[in-house]
Amino acid sequence: MFSPLTTLFILASRLRAWLTPRQQDHDFAQELKTHLDFLVEENLRHGMPRESAERAARITLGGQTQLEETHRELRGLPVLETLIQDTRYALRALRKNLAFTALAILTLALGIGANTAIFSVVYAILLKPLPYPNAQQLFNIFQVQRQEGVAATGFSFANFAELRQQSKSFSEMAGSQRHELTLTGHGDPTVVKTSVVTPELFELMGQTPVIGRIFTPQDGQPGAVPVTVLSENLWRAMFAANPKIIGTSINLDKRPFTVVGIVTAKFRFPQINQSEQLWIALVNDPLFGSWMPNRGGHWLQITGRLKPGVSLPQAQAELDAIAVRLGREFPRENSGWTIGLLPLRQLFVFNVGSTLWILLGAVALVLLISCANIANLLLARATSRSREIAVRTTLGATRSRIVRQLLTETAVLGAFGGLSGVALAYWGVPVLRSVMPSTVPQVNDIRVDTWVLLFAILLSAAATCIFGSVPALFTANANVQSSLREGGARAGESRNRRTARSVLAAAEISLALVLLLAAGLMLRSFAKLTAMSPGFVTKHIVRAEISLPQFQYTTPQRWAAFSDELLARLQAEPGLQQTAIAVPAPIADGFVNLGFEIVGHPQALAGASRTADYATISPNYFQVLGIPLLAGRAFDPHDAMIAPRVAIISQSMAHVYFPNENPLGHQLKFGLPPDSGAPREIVGIVGDVRDVAIGQDPGPMMYVPYAQSPVWGAVVLVKSENSTAAVSAAIRREVASIDKDLPVTDIAQMPDVIDTSMAQSRFGALLLTLFAAVALILAATGIFGVISYSVACRTNEIGIRVALGASRAAILRMISRETLLVTGAGLAAGIPSALAASRLLGHMIVGVSANDPLTLIAVALTLAAVAALASYLPTRRATQVDPIIALRHE
Amino acid sequence: MPPEKSDILQGTLDLMVLQTLDAMGPQHGYGIARRIEQISEQALQLNQGTIYASLLRLVQQRRISASWGTSDNNRKAKFYSITRAGRKQLQTETENWQRISGAVARILRTAGRA
Repeated sequence: MFSPLTTLFILASRLRAWLTPRQQDHDFAQELKTHLDFLVEENLRHGMPRESAERAARITLGGQTQLEETHRELRGLPVLETLIQDTRYALRALRKNLAFTALAILTLALGIGANTAIFSVVYAILLKPLPYPNAQQLFNIFQVQRQEGVAATGFSFANFAELRQQSKSFSEMAGSQRHELTLTGHGDPTVVKTSVVTPELFELMGQTPVIGRIFTPQDGQPGAVPVTVLSENLWRAMFAANPKIIGTSINLDKRPFTVVGIVTAKFRFPQINQSEQLWIALVNDPLFGSWMPNRGGHWLQITGRLKPGVSLPQAQAELDAIAVRLGREFPRENSGWTIGLLPLRQLFVFNVGSTLWILLGAVALVLLISCANIANLLLARATSRSREIAVRTTLGATRSRIVRQLLTETAVLGAFGGLSGVALAYWGVPVLRSVMPSTVPQVNDIRVDTWVLLFAILLSAAATCIFGSVPALFTANANVQSSLREGGARAGESRNRRTARSVLAAAEISLALVLLLAAGLMLRSFAKLTAMSPGFVTKHIVRAEISLPQFQYTTPQRWAAFSDELLARLQAEPGLQQTAIAVPAPIADGFVNLGFEIVGHPQALAGASRTADYATISPNYFQVLGIPLLAGRAFDPHDAMIAPRVAIISQSMAHVYFPNENPLGHQLKFGLPPDSGAPREIVGIVGDVRDVAIGQDPGPMMYVPYAQSPVWGAVVLVKSENSTAAVSAAIRREVASIDKDLPVTDIAQMPDVIDTSMAQSRFGALLLTLFAAVALILAATGIFGVISYSVACRTNEIGIRVALGASRAAILRMISRETLLVTGAGLAAGIPSALAASRLLGHMIVGVSANDPLTLIAVALTLAAVAALASYLPTRRATQVDPIIALRHE
Repeated sequence: MPPEKSDILQGTLDLMVLQTLDAMGPQHGYGIARRIEQISEQALQLNQGTIYASLLRLVQQRRISASWGTSDNNRKAKFYSITRAGRKQLQTETENWQRISGAVARILRTAGRA
């Protein structure tokens, strides 16, 4: 209509006028006055008497109020003004009803806050881009042996070299492992987290040094000068950020490494949770370096960067072809193995993801319940305001204006609730961080940052729309007539509204049931977990780890000698009852799984899985840990390095592999280098232990004497009634007396270790229970509100009934029927939903089925009981209604 | 919302205000209203206050400008004057009107004859 320039002018004028309303009013009033004066003058000139002149003038000019109002409307920004007016009105209305406002804001704050907190965790761990450039191109490449049940494991260096050479889909590939080496020469010997890598790693991950340089391919050649790159944090912590460190050497496991560079603190790979670490070339690692020539073994973690333009199926196809080729060329090590790839994120997340998504789903349900509660509150309030609305309608407000104002009120409520929720999240996230299990990656990155904030804002808006739509729908149909009538405030609540509120309350119960069942199942599962016997004694057992630097303790004989000496000294310590050595210690140290052959039995068919867990132990191990000896004998000092090789197997191994015969006397072929294929005679059978995790059933296990298969370190298990501090001091003392440069690490009581291993399960159970509790309270509030209001509405009816002779019991029955209906409907809808939802818990629940009837009945009864309790007060109030007062009350 | 005036009347009033200011030079509200009444030979008897809506609109559209001054009998009044944009608008609209009234007249003449 107007040219764009004109529109701009008009807007500018309106804006200016809007900013100076008083001035505008004053000016216009002045103008009108002057105009009026002119008219009066004119009339006087025509000979009219003063009074009629003024009256005539006023008529000619027109109604002043109307003119001023027209002027006001034409000159300012009506939309903005309406909004501001509505907001001010809303704030006033909310302040008047402080109880309602507080309740609504609190409810919403809980819902938004909890969701924001959980989302911040989900975002930091599952969604945020990994802290490496172009991380979406990075993939983890692994070997798979489906038939032996190996889902994903590493490569050997020899195989990796072939892979790297033959593959064309990846622009770069590198291998990595983690180790702990002892740093000496700088104060006390300290253990540093070491990442052992092939030299291409830094280029692969797009890292440039802060000072100095990163690895070059020359650094990876055998015989090259050992070099190391430090992480910035380690550099600051241990070397005071001294730039002169470049070129100097530090001792790792008693061997000199030259520091050539520092990388930024943000780079953490492959140990994403370690902020202080250093990198050395694979070839220089005391342990893994010696494994490099072997083609067998699966220990190197491979990461590759997919070339742009190469699709996943293409890359997979190429890897399949390479796997076939490797199987053909090197059948002994690679036959039956395939190669897979997964985005790098999977490496860090693996099983935490499902737990987090379930928690997010649960907390979303809590928000839904909150919204239902607030909608209920709003509906109740709408009823009591129906008179006010009717009056406004009569005064000329259009329906759209009223609805707009109510929506503004809802929006203001939503804004306050959302802000409070965000504040709650800010407070709650650090608390959440502190109870998270330590196995979770990137824990330190969990915080309320921009994206999380955005999520909170969007969620608040969505929630506001949800609970705001309900009362808006009903208010639109307000019947003005009935509302204005006497008593309209109460009786005016239409049938529809009562039904809606009951439906909402029932819905809250259904959702609460879903959460309660999930929490109940998690709790039972966790209880089962804690009750599970690991198969060995844990009380009063302290575990400690000592690593032997391979450059000083070069031969297995020296390792064995060290361990013997240490055991002897520890036995001699007063207060320490018994000490055993075990590598790996059950549950504490993960597990080692080796393939084996039974001498004399037919060769394992391709497809038959012949692997078992492995541990190398001192002779008194079974005794110290209370593992029963079921047949044959335990190891003894005669099973020395030069003696014939022996082994002891677990009960389940005996059952599975020797079902119809006595295993004693048979020979097994297995082991770690240097005598991997040595035949070992089975001399004993012991009870099963849960060596992998408390929740995992024990599998076949084989033990060898430590003297015959020593390792480069020792894990001592000390049984003692003394305090951990005393035991730890004793261990350190004895270790230092043998070699003062050996640090003792990871000292912990076995019960604590087992506790930590269940940390994730506990975390999930804790949070779900918390959410279920909140849901329960909210649902109870919902029921309370609905029944209370129903009673208040029906006060008249109750009064009449009582006056006509109804007993208190009859009134009780009448009100209870309503409670029953709502609760019953809620449970009826809730039970199938809860059963369906609990199936999603899947592997998270151990020892209980997802459809466990006992748990379901228990939580349903709990919910019903709480609902009954919530409705007790209003129901009692109903029975105490005095008919005279009720009938008078209008 | 104020009772709907017909848009034609609104537009016409704006036009007459412009015409008045163009012919008479700067004027205050009363003067403009009086003049319009005179010219239209009392055929348009409005509440005089209604021109203030037109004046406000025209000021917003920058077709006229306003400033405070003193009237001939020493009264403080707001004087309005036409701007160049206003003059252009007036010219365009006048041409339009003439074209339309010419067409209408011709049609009527033709109808009358038949």
